[in-house]
Amino acid sequence: MIERWALVSGLKGDLDTYELIQKDLKKTPGNITLFVLGDMIGPEKNCNRLLHRLINPKSNDLQPWCIYGWWEEQILLESGYRGDQRAEALRINKGEEVVKSLTNAVDKSFLDWIAALQFGFVELDCGLIHGSSKDVGENLTLDTPPLTLLDRLTRLQVNRLFTARSKQQFHLELTEGIVNSEVEDLNGNRKKEQKVPQKAVIGIGAGKNYTLYDVGTDNTQFVQAGYKTEKRIKGFGRL
Amino acid sequence: MNQAVISCLHANLPAVEAVLKDIELQGITNITCLGDLVGYGPQPNEVIELIRDKEIPTCQGCWDEDVVDGLDACDCSYPSQLAEKRGHFAHQWTTDKLTTENKDYLANLPYSIRKDKCLFVHGSPNSQHEYLLPDMDAFAALERVENARAEILFCGHTHQPYIRELADGSIAVKIKNSVPKDTQEKEIQLPMRRIVNAGSVGEPRHGGTKATYVVHNDVTNEVKIREVEYDIELTCKAIIDAGLPPIFAWRLKNGFEFAEQAEDASHVCER
Repeated sequence: MIERWALVSGLKGDLDTYELIQKDLKKTPGNITLFVLGDMIGPEKNCNRLLHRLINPKSNDLQPWCIYGWWEEQILLESGYRGDQRAEALRINKGEEVVKSLTNAVDKSFLDWIAALQFGFVELDCGLIHGSSKDVGENLTLDTPPLTLLDRLTRLQVNRLFTARSKQQFHLELTEGIVNSEVEDLNGNRKKEQKVPQKAVIGIGAGKNYTLYDVGTDNTQFVQAGYKTEKRIKGFGRL
Repeated sequence: MNQAVISCLHANLPAVEAVLKDIELQGITNITCLGDLVGYGPQPNEVIELIRDKEIPTCQGCWDEDVVDGLDACDCSYPSQLAEKRGHFAHQWTTDKLTTENKDYLANLPYSIRKDKCLFVHGSPNSQHEYLLPDMDAFAALERVENARAEILFCGHTHQPYIRELADGSIAVKIKNSVPKDTQEKEIQLPMRRIVNAGSVGEPRHGGTKATYVVHNDVTNEVKIREVEYDIELTCKAIIDAGLPPIFAWRLKNGFEFAEQAEDASHVCER
């Protein structure tokens, strides 16, 4: 049986979109594991129904494996789960109203569950995170310098890094890399040539835009919930 | 023009005086200090006051930060629970001994100093607690310098002096599943960058007993590691007299400080 990962993020309380994705995945062939890479909550709408569904899946739902994202970090900060710090970055950038909207959108009974979520998962040689291995709020995009992308991969010691924060969908391979290093210390000089094996950073999208990843073939497929998938992607065929 | 870079003085006054004398004998007046003025050693106030009197630009080290803000590193910083216990004792001893004025001085030290193409930090541009070891992943090392927008990164913290040049680098990338459909490929050339670790004046961990620092010529870009002998017996006696753990004196005298390095020194404490 083909093993696939469905990678979702940025639902921000949208239960309808989550149900649409669940419906899609039921029709997707293969053994599917569903990962929700953060931003399950947001300030725009009440998030309680979605959170309840994620914690208590329906009997025919795929079990979601969730990590926390930037919006979860903001509510944890504001609710005192990070010591004395508060969601000041959110307050400065979006204003007090948005801070209030966020705290009003999530019932306090869900905060312990959110606080228990992990920063990320490492599955096989893949890192699954919301932002980057440096910061939950870091945007990794096609325009991020390759040296930075390589560093974020190295920090997790993985060959594939799935990221959601930018909301973009992309699959960028670092196909080859080389650098010469020469160290002089009290013991003398030593030279070393370091090469990089093939690695990749994959932006999974947000909301209705999610990603399917074929673990066996390393192929990604960018999907919009409720629409037929594009034919051009090799490795999956029609869904 | 030559500039001297010193780091990790660790309240060892005889070592600091000997190194400053060595710098003076070379006619160098441009000195930068990379922090850790205190910790482990018996003369924290004296060392701070010497650096202040000479108006040497200084970054805040991890010990300087911890003495002001409280311990924020986890036990990963130490190779054993015993070493951690000794470190915490030295932390408390130093906190008790420091004058309010000197604590204020440490609290107001900058995290980094930039001079043209050179950036000076204690650990790394990311953290005062991050070790840039001489043989760490070359791409990660290059990223630290490049993302700090420097050509030469001067650091300390490891207590091991070294000069590392990272050159002739490139990374090839391929964008898959792109819109338009064509696969895009390109190769990015990486710039040549250097990391210079100044070692340690007051607590060397290079396997010997001599204090170390570096001299950089900003015209030729040449960097030299300097080793300086100092009166170790004087420091050892002061450690014992101060009531600090005698092992601190034993390590200094025998050049065994390297044994105090954490097992996984590349680990970055997130606390």
